[in-house]
Amino acid sequence: MTSAFESHRSFLRRLPLTLVIGMLVWLLLRPAIDAATAGLAQTLIRAFEHPRVTRLVVNDHRAEVRRADFRSDSKIPTIPLTEIHFNTIVLLALFLALPRPLSRRQLERLFMGWCVLYLSQSMNLLFHVKVLYAMGLGEWSQHTYSEFARNFFGFWRYFTDLPGRFSFPFLIWLGFNWDLVMGLLAPGVAQPDKTEKRSRRARNT
Amino acid sequence: MLSVREAWRRPELRFLALFLAILGVSFTAIAFKPVDDAIIVPYTAFIARLSGAVLRLLGENATVDSCVVSSPRFAVTIYNGCNGLITSLIFISGVLAFPARWGAKVAGVVGGLAAIQLINLVRIVSLFYIGIYLPRFFNQSHIFIWQSVVILAGVALWVTWAHRFAAPAVDRS
Repeated sequence: MTSAFESHRSFLRRLPLTLVIGMLVWLLLRPAIDAATAGLAQTLIRAFEHPRVTRLVVNDHRAEVRRADFRSDSKIPTIPLTEIHFNTIVLLALFLALPRPLSRRQLERLFMGWCVLYLSQSMNLLFHVKVLYAMGLGEWSQHTYSEFARNFFGFWRYFTDLPGRFSFPFLIWLGFNWDLVMGLLAPGVAQPDKTEKRSRRARNT
Repeated sequence: MLSVREAWRRPELRFLALFLAILGVSFTAIAFKPVDDAIIVPYTAFIARLSGAVLRLLGENATVDSCVVSSPRFAVTIYNGCNGLITSLIFISGVLAFPARWGAKVAGVVGGLAAIQLINLVRIVSLFYIGIYLPRFFNQSHIFIWQSVVILAGVALWVTWAHRFAAPAVDRS
């Protein structure tokens, strides 16, 4: 029980420090994350678009939604990117607060987790753009998108917005580090898997 | 390929499935307008009144009108994302989905909600003063500093709860 108590306490002690590290890394990588998120969202939007007219241009941490068929004098709608990918800080802080964060296994897990989070952020941006198209462009939206499409995109924007942004880093961290997190909670909790495997092997032989 | 029954036996997959289901149901429920009108808006107004009361205790001449807290020096509007409800729902989903005794779950929900609301109150009051004294940093503080702090506080509370109350139940599973 002592080791779980200690690792639980050291996890909590490390968390404020790793939050600061997460913020610094995110601030450093912010322009790259802006471009990567907008790039994947644009690719996904254009994959289902005929003709392919959408371009997402990053400017001052906002994604400008430019369509080739917009009138040249029309206003360019923008979507703030900071709110979409700030949760990278949370993911980094949680991963780095676990024991041996720079080991090969943990770095691999962080990479995989970050990829999943990046996908969720790009999907969030995609739904923002689709909701803009389905609801924000007046008569054109009403004419081009059905009621079902408005509800569909509205629901997914809502779900990937606050609930998704707040919960995905926690879920991804827990999903990729179940054994370590359970080790923080109680010793030996992650071990039943091994014994289960051993007994299964014994049954097979 | 993992069958549904095999997947359900794996604690991490069962937790993730339950967590997402509870989260999905609760967030779908609060998306309905009648729920918003009857619960979310009055709750947010209550948080605004509480924040106004704390600011008055600290000597600020604060007044509250619905969800807007204002003083002659600054004003903030408290929206749904700023009332601590999102973090609370995520925390509750984590507690309910985790294998533990019901008594531990009830204690976790009640204690966690109180702690998250306290942290959120500190957040609103501090943002008010950041708006007065460091207005250039208001957006950064609001979006990525305090939101990250609140989410991590929720996770830390969940880890602490699970460590303190839920570990024996996990051991048995």
